[in-house]
Amino acid sequence: MIIEANDLRKTFIAKRGRGKTEEVQAVQGIDLGVEEGEIFAALGPNGAGKTTTVRMLATFTAPTSGTARVAGFDVVKEAAKVRENIGYVSQAGGVDDNAPGLESLMLAARLSGMSRKQARIRADELLQAFSLSEIANRPAKTLSGGQKRRFALAIGLVTKPPLVFLDEPTTGLDPQNRANLWDEVRDLRAQGTSVLLTTHYLDEADALCDRLVIIDHGKIVAEGTPTELKKEVAGDVVTLRLKGIDEARELLAAQDYIKEVRAEDDVLRAYLDDGEHGLPHLLRALEERNLTLDSISLDRATLDDVFLRHTGRSLRDAA
Amino acid sequence: MLRHTSLFLGYELRFLLRNPVWPVFGIVQPVMYLIFFAPLLGSTTPSGSMPEVLAMFTPGSMMMIALFGSLFAGFGLINETRNGVLERLAVSPAWPPAIILGRVAKDMITLVLQAILVMGVAMLMGLRIGLLAFLIMLALMATTGLFAASLSYGLALALRDENGMSQIVQFFAMPLTLIAGLFLPISLGPDWLQTAAKFNPLYYGVEAGRALFRDDLSDSTIPTAFGLLAVLAVITLIWSMRSLRKMAG
Repeated sequence: MIIEANDLRKTFIAKRGRGKTEEVQAVQGIDLGVEEGEIFAALGPNGAGKTTTVRMLATFTAPTSGTARVAGFDVVKEAAKVRENIGYVSQAGGVDDNAPGLESLMLAARLSGMSRKQARIRADELLQAFSLSEIANRPAKTLSGGQKRRFALAIGLVTKPPLVFLDEPTTGLDPQNRANLWDEVRDLRAQGTSVLLTTHYLDEADALCDRLVIIDHGKIVAEGTPTELKKEVAGDVVTLRLKGIDEARELLAAQDYIKEVRAEDDVLRAYLDDGEHGLPHLLRALEERNLTLDSISLDRATLDDVFLRHTGRSLRDAA
Repeated sequence: MLRHTSLFLGYELRFLLRNPVWPVFGIVQPVMYLIFFAPLLGSTTPSGSMPEVLAMFTPGSMMMIALFGSLFAGFGLINETRNGVLERLAVSPAWPPAIILGRVAKDMITLVLQAILVMGVAMLMGLRIGLLAFLIMLALMATTGLFAASLSYGLALALRDENGMSQIVQFFAMPLTLIAGLFLPISLGPDWLQTAAKFNPLYYGVEAGRALFRDDLSDSTIPTAFGLLAVLAVITLIWSMRSLRKMAG
């Protein structure tokens, strides 16, 4: 295992003015196991504790309690060893705006012990791989968000680390750049690099990762492969908007082909294994009670449904 | 350790070479003081000659660059606490103190180069100074820069707020300037002012500079200034490195 965390906790003392302080329990006991060569995602809304968890694993923040081993080394006692074996791309990116991207790349390479020549060769490899050669000497502040993000990734990979942390790698990117970055992350897996990424996008976790944990309020609420997790909730979900939501909820819950019904504001979700065959029955039952639909849709269950099941709220609302 | 410090220094110096104009702006103020203010001081020295006035006034104007240049060095670092650069470096194999030391070394070099320019202008105006005194003066400026820049990085990392930082720097810069006798020797003032000045590290810097420019190399203010500034520099360096470590919470 490249990451092994046991009961990691982090409590911050936040200043609240006039000498008052407040304890913020950002991470409240997280256990993680990431296999070598895996893309592992931590999915959760903003403020769930994903970034704090990654920062503890990357040796930036010391845990309040609990232990973690990354690449075989203890994150507190052997922080220097951990640092030699990881790449870390923070949410902010960490590309120096005032210097050309190549300068940041060269500095990172040389700090890891490479000679000027080796650093230049590695930098050229990465510039090529991320299509950055032409803009390598432009000050980073003149680059677009997507270009800067690619530089951030290149800097994180300069030492060819066996493990890379990507904290919200696609936040703020347009769909095209986002898709490109996904491809780059998949390429990492193809080369045998392990990746721990955090995201609050369901489709990102679904499309990219081999396994994931769902984090909410500093705790892991679910863990598994995307397929396993989606299987926990029934395969299909029917989303209905209608008047008389309480009556409809009771009615649908009584149908034997429906496994679970959840109401959220004016939306009703019915989970069932075989949506195509269940839908006509469902419509007939509503019609018999004279319940008029505003809208209805049938979808495959997503990780949002998993999140909803475990936290009682939709990730879209929580984020 | 040394390798990492020099790598950071090289990185910072390349930035300086790409933008060589900014440090030149830093010496505009002291040069203007030399040209427009020093001639008014004829009556404050025994003979009133220009070389004598310059020997008295130039050290003060050089300390001014340290105060108004190096003390602001930390501003750039505040941004780096937010854009992820320091976060990335903190978990890289870099030796942590080198992150600060490399920058401080750059500020020392900048300050020494600025000092050479200011002394050059003063010499063109008639200042005469021995080579040894010149070199010791540069070393004194480097030590002052070490202290002022470390203090600035410490403040930047402790406050992490541009507004707070500029208020604090301004708040301290003015009294430090006045009570150091930057423009006129404090010995012209009343006793209480002379006593107050003894608590200002900058005062010793200015007095040591004046002794050097008088070619009075055995004056006790010279070792006092070096010792005091070096000790303060070490304290502020340690403080800024601790602040860097605490950044993570």
